[in-house]
Amino acid sequence: MPGVRYYDLRHVTGQVTHIDIDNGVVESAGTSFFNKAVLRVLDRNGWGIIQIDNYTPCNGRKFEDLIGEAQKLAGITEEVVELGDVPHGILPVPPMKEDPRSVGIEEKSSLLAGIEEAARHPLVTNRRANYVERIEQVRFEDSSANGYSYEMCRSGFNVMAVASRNGNVQMGYERDHTIHGFDLRHRQEYGKKAAEIAVALLDAGAVKGGKMHAVLDPELAGVFAHEAVGHASEGDLIQEGSSVLKGKTGKKIGSEILTIVDDPALCGFGFDPVDAEGTAVLRTEIIRRGVVNAFLHNRESLAAVGNGTAGHARAMPGEPPLVRMSNTFIENGDATEAEIFAECKNGIFLKGSRGGQVDPGRGIFQFNAEYGYLVENGECTKMIRDVSLSGEILSTLHRITLCGNDRKMSPGYCGKGGQSVPVSDGAPHVLLLDAVVGGSGLD
Amino acid sequence: MRWWVAVAWIEDLIREGQKSVDELEVFYVEGTSVSADLKQKKINLATTSMDCGLGIRTIHNGRIGSSSTNDPGTWRDCLRAAIAGGKLATPQAWNGLPEPIVLPAAPLSFDPGLECDPGIARNLLRQMLDGAAEHPAEVTAGSASLSVSSVVLANSHGIRYEDHHTGVSLSLEAIHRQSTGYEFDHACYLEDLDPRNVGEKAAFFASRSADGKDIPTGDYPVVLSPLAYAELLGNVFVPALNGRSVHSGRSRLAQSLGRPVADPRIAMYDDPLLPRASGSTRWDAEGTPARRIDFVRDGVLQTFAYDLKTAYRYDKKTTGSAVRGGFGGLTAIGHHNFIVDGKRDTILDERVLYVHNVVGAHTANPMSGDYSVEISNAFWMEDGGFAEPVRSAMMSGNVFDMHRDIAGLSKESRAVGSLILPSVKLNNQHIIGK
Repeated sequence: MPGVRYYDLRHVTGQVTHIDIDNGVVESAGTSFFNKAVLRVLDRNGWGIIQIDNYTPCNGRKFEDLIGEAQKLAGITEEVVELGDVPHGILPVPPMKEDPRSVGIEEKSSLLAGIEEAARHPLVTNRRANYVERIEQVRFEDSSANGYSYEMCRSGFNVMAVASRNGNVQMGYERDHTIHGFDLRHRQEYGKKAAEIAVALLDAGAVKGGKMHAVLDPELAGVFAHEAVGHASEGDLIQEGSSVLKGKTGKKIGSEILTIVDDPALCGFGFDPVDAEGTAVLRTEIIRRGVVNAFLHNRESLAAVGNGTAGHARAMPGEPPLVRMSNTFIENGDATEAEIFAECKNGIFLKGSRGGQVDPGRGIFQFNAEYGYLVENGECTKMIRDVSLSGEILSTLHRITLCGNDRKMSPGYCGKGGQSVPVSDGAPHVLLLDAVVGGSGLD
Repeated sequence: MRWWVAVAWIEDLIREGQKSVDELEVFYVEGTSVSADLKQKKINLATTSMDCGLGIRTIHNGRIGSSSTNDPGTWRDCLRAAIAGGKLATPQAWNGLPEPIVLPAAPLSFDPGLECDPGIARNLLRQMLDGAAEHPAEVTAGSASLSVSSVVLANSHGIRYEDHHTGVSLSLEAIHRQSTGYEFDHACYLEDLDPRNVGEKAAFFASRSADGKDIPTGDYPVVLSPLAYAELLGNVFVPALNGRSVHSGRSRLAQSLGRPVADPRIAMYDDPLLPRASGSTRWDAEGTPARRIDFVRDGVLQTFAYDLKTAYRYDKKTTGSAVRGGFGGLTAIGHHNFIVDGKRDTILDERVLYVHNVVGAHTANPMSGDYSVEISNAFWMEDGGFAEPVRSAMMSGNVFDMHRDIAGLSKESRAVGSLILPSVKLNNQHIIGK
């Protein structure tokens, strides 16, 4: 294959089983199948990439034809892409406590129905629960004779309750997703909690927007770490020049107590045994004691930018790998929850999240809390709903002044470049001074 | 419509399925695409994709099962999985899949001259870069892609429909110091796009938004661009028109049929037969002939959107609103080309805060409609021209209440995905300064 500097092939087959129960009715249930591959070739300049649905592994002439086709595509590229040298190797996939495949779909459906049923309440007008189980067989090989294969199963559920009264409609939403095996047993409390929150929110007030001190719970503080720091540290964005963290290595951008990490080797929902380019996965301390320490990289951005570690390339089946977060978190500090509330004194306590978004080039992020409480004299008082916060990456991190010692991770999905990958975010309770809060309340 | 002889295996699939179930439906999509991406000003990668997806839905004694695969050679496994899933589903009222009718054969959103040629993608990128060079901003990333796809729908009542689509999409990102600009466009016909303009606008927003000033907290006259409006409308208002959400208690509009839900000048409708629009089709994903649906007329809510399943269950009529998500996705209620229309005005004649885009609209509460988002590329506009840029602020309110306060629609509309929208003026929009 003359001219080919590098190629890799990632082939993923698998199946997705889902159950959707809506107000006691099994709306749909069943299994779907997928088979997708992506072949990437580096010719003289940049990448030629072929995405193939329904791929049959091949070699010899047939494989060479595919390489040739990718080379032709690469012919229009102009940038000379170099790949950084990286460690290879694969971690074992943690064993599952109970393999979901050993549980019949009827039993899964009846367990899910129990969670949905637990959200029953006189003011709840709709209950909905979903189960998703995704099994992927991944096979990777590259032109340097590296090859890996592994199987991963991710499964979990969401339960939502909608409460309404006199035209006021509110929702409670709970979920759990894991790589550790079947997790539908004894989970009714999730349904109950969704209903309790939806009903309580009917009496919650809207917060008046403005600057105030905020205590963030571990889930929300995790989303904060993901939006405020994680995306801006992605090496491809640094390479393009669309991150305010470009050129900031070694600079102090946050308080001494703040260390933010991305660790694909951690056995959370964002775990990968090996990254999507065959690179060994490693813990990366993005921010160490308030100082920009390392960026997240794939092989290309490592070569172009440096100052960080590769092993952060991730991809949906059949899609080209991008630099992505995996398990992102704020490290524990030494404050107790009581100390954090006492220090906040007057402000808001925010819990849960429907996610957030960032413009890393502009250095501005937004993220949302599902609900919270006013904090008055260090005590939680009135419940508040739908609070969003926004901030500037380069100034907000200085205002995290206390970190608790109770870090907890929450599973979720993160979108970038049209691809959605499983992640987890987490933190201990943290205190954020002078948070910019958006709300529609009048007083 | 003409039956596509190349997929004779679909006939085998239907014959096989009929041995076990009352009715079945087969949805098959095949497509190719090519795209090229910029890293700064140079093409970094070129991609081609060959996609296919098969979706099967079975109905037996009111139990609906479905499955999908992108390996049509394994259709027997997929059929078995659909039938097995159906056995678990709760039975419901069901009066049959549609019968075939004669529909016009000409596709609505297909450019016969469009080829998935990487050279065309490269030229589109070059034209965007030429446009971007008009302003002092650095290009950070960009993309151009071309796609051709065909869709086949067949069912056990004899429906054999086929359709073809083409698409071109462009995007460019630029930065000037710490100010970013993003612009995109998409169309079914290559000639309907102006790549130079896309590049010019991205660079314009990046350079013109630099050195913005802060804005004090308060209520202001605001104009939302079609992009900013699409974020709020698409995440909150459009889902609340879904008949399934309405009947299962997940829509704030559930009790509003026949009542005002927007300013009297506002009309909202789905027009699936609009030539050259990206969502156009003559039949929905279940084979119901697609037609215009008037959701809101003179500000008053007229109807919700239904597919067959929801219509049969709640004794309504389908509005032809069934869609399938992506390659091999399940059927769901959606829309084809969702249009906001009404009397058009000059809405930029007085001093207003123009909001080009927002950050974080997906975090809006889809039930209550409450939102608070960060605004981006916001400007004070005077006499229709961009005056001073606003650095950073949040905007909050309620998407449902906002529609009652719409004070004007711009003369021009723009397609943002499957939404076709004007800019909208709001007289008292709450802005939270920093």
